[in-house]
Amino acid sequence: MSLENIKVMIADDSMFARKKLINFISTLGVAEVLEAADGEEAVEKYKANKPNVVFMDIVMPKKTGIEAVKEIVEFDPSAKVIMASSVGTQNHLRDAIMAGAADFIQKPISNDQIQKILENTAKELNK
Amino acid sequence: MFAQFFGSFLLHKGLVTAKDLTQAFEEKKNTRMRLGVLAINAGLMTSEQVEHVNVTQQSVDKRFGDLCVELGYLTDSDVDRLLSEQPTDYLLLGQTLVNSGVMSNADFEAAIIEYKNENSLSNDDISGNQSDKLSKLISGFYHFDTAANARIYTEYTTLLFKDIIRFIGDDFTPLGSSIIHELEAPHIVKQAVTGAYNSITCVAADTAEYMAFAERFAKEEFTEVDDFVDATVGEFMNVNNGLFTVNESNEHGIELQLDPQEIHTDEKIVFENPAFLIPVSFSFGEVNFVISNS
Repeated sequence: MSLENIKVMIADDSMFARKKLINFISTLGVAEVLEAADGEEAVEKYKANKPNVVFMDIVMPKKTGIEAVKEIVEFDPSAKVIMASSVGTQNHLRDAIMAGAADFIQKPISNDQIQKILENTAKELNK
Repeated sequence: MFAQFFGSFLLHKGLVTAKDLTQAFEEKKNTRMRLGVLAINAGLMTSEQVEHVNVTQQSVDKRFGDLCVELGYLTDSDVDRLLSEQPTDYLLLGQTLVNSGVMSNADFEAAIIEYKNENSLSNDDISGNQSDKLSKLISGFYHFDTAANARIYTEYTTLLFKDIIRFIGDDFTPLGSSIIHELEAPHIVKQAVTGAYNSITCVAADTAEYMAFAERFAKEEFTEVDDFVDATVGEFMNVNNGLFTVNESNEHGIELQLDPQEIHTDEKIVFENPAFLIPVSFSFGEVNFVISNS
């Protein structure tokens, strides 16, 4: 499955989490990987770049991931935002889905999970 | 995880040194269990009987198991059963220490009997890594029962050790805890857990150990402590604490949130409530974990 048309954004305040994800995703041949270190930057960069898929942490400074996903989905109802958080409680899951998140994955995230999500995104784009 | 606490027990009893344990944890990956240690652990043979078979074996060309049966120490089915069981981690540790001459079979026999008695553990408890026994072992080891929120301390620490094994490695020895009111270290990562109750959690270490811990988690090498090293240790803490909040929500219906991690370099942190300091000795040095609950 070619991922060459996929633009990805990673929004996480952890430099470690961003670097690990970017390093892996970059090996898959995607078109572009954007990064944001807080919720506010995530919203701004989404509006400017419209990535095909966003991996969004929840606990972030300035604006939480839940607040950011709400704004992103208001701006673009077709946005595909995957919450990627260490806090995968039922409440957070519910809040994320209600805010418009497409899915929720619990940290630590495996490379397989990321690859599957990106491949599914590519399939959806090709439809 | 029983292996790490068995190691700590041996260290505390003065039967091994920290260096012996570090070496044994490294070597145990290549250790093959021998029938003698398995039979001692199962309570089917004494160390004297094992030694007798060892001596006898030197003068006859027979396998250890066949000699045990011939001498009436074991039955054929005992031998088959012992050899077919998956060796547990603490037994591999014991076998490694016996192989390297740090402990004799008799030392191992006395230690394993005392360890099991002290902690009310059976072979089934240990081989199955039973959660309730593990929690009891950890609670007893750290004297959490003296704290008001014993369940929280016990479950947090049990998860912490599981995550250390999962993300850092199993070559560590838990050391005895102490109650502290403040913490000073070259590097401290602190994260507050808030909600139905509040906890402060920390990882603290000297520079070399802090980097080594981060290297294990990131699976990369570092030459100095920079923002990325801080973020790496911070992410370990975030993942561990995140899994803890999931457990609290799923198993107890308790909803908690995590605050962003704070990095403290060459600073002193003062705790509002008494905190448990949990030192862990890795092969690369000592790292301290702290939990304070209110």
